[in-house]
Amino acid sequence: MRFPSQAEEQALHERVLKKNESLASEDVFRVFMDPIIGVLRSNPGRTKDEAHDAACDVLLEYLEHPERYQAHRSRLSTYLMRAAAMQALDMYRSQVARERREREFGGVIELRATAPNESLEIIVEARHLVGRLEQAMQEKDQAVLGLILQGERSTHALAKAMNLPPQSEKDLRREVKRNRDRLMKILGRFGKEE
Amino acid sequence: MSNPDWLERAALRAQSATWTLAHTFERYRQLEARTEAELARELGCTREALHWLCLCRKPEGPDFDTQVIAITERHEVDLRTLVDVIRHVEIVGALTRDTGVAEHPLQMAARDRVPGEKTNS
Repeated sequence: MRFPSQAEEQALHERVLKKNESLASEDVFRVFMDPIIGVLRSNPGRTKDEAHDAACDVLLEYLEHPERYQAHRSRLSTYLMRAAAMQALDMYRSQVARERREREFGGVIELRATAPNESLEIIVEARHLVGRLEQAMQEKDQAVLGLILQGERSTHALAKAMNLPPQSEKDLRREVKRNRDRLMKILGRFGKEE
Repeated sequence: MSNPDWLERAALRAQSATWTLAHTFERYRQLEARTEAELARELGCTREALHWLCLCRKPEGPDFDTQVIAITERHEVDLRTLVDVIRHVEIVGALTRDTGVAEHPLQMAARDRVPGEKTNS
């Protein structure tokens, strides 16, 4: 289907501009949809639905703001066709970005997720181990271990949890490291026993 | 002449534009729990004709009567029902706005007359 003549386009545009003729918008669809879809479909990578949606969105946008079209710059059909091509490109880019996000998200889930029965077993086992650890360790050591497992690396924070007396920075670091190594050894032994 | 294959999809897409009849029809269907087929039946037209109607600008303003008559003449839909549907959605919309008060309720009520209908005055 071909685009209408320039005079027909202009007459239709003037009807649309008035916004007081309900049928003008329907006529815009009747006149422009098929030719625009035809142009969009000439791109082999584009599906029929994508072409339909892009053409439809562009016409709806034009009908909402017909004053944005400036007749002295180009024909209405050129304006709409260019807008539809841009719209189709935007839709394609959004789709690619969405697919990439979903793929990346899927990858993370695949790596981290465990089978439902496995995760239940892990929870039961972890609870059992925590109970055993609480019995094997003093309360002070449990607090320090909690901090270490949460990723705390500050010497002063660990020293505070270890109840170490004030001392020089060098001594404090050595003392914290000594206590940390002791706890790791306890954990290591505990792991072997289990 | 057969209807284009993009028609139904376009009618659906037009629902997002508040100035279209598609938007008005969708609101009416939500408010009154009507299916598309039921609405078409009320308007006395086919589903295809309803899809074409969806692409029309919603009649409003001082030319309301002229616009409604033009639509009903082209698509052969029931004029009274079309006016009722448009008015119903407009009034419910006005009453449910954030302010809770219709913007121009009296004006809307005054226009709530079927085009061509004779008044007593």
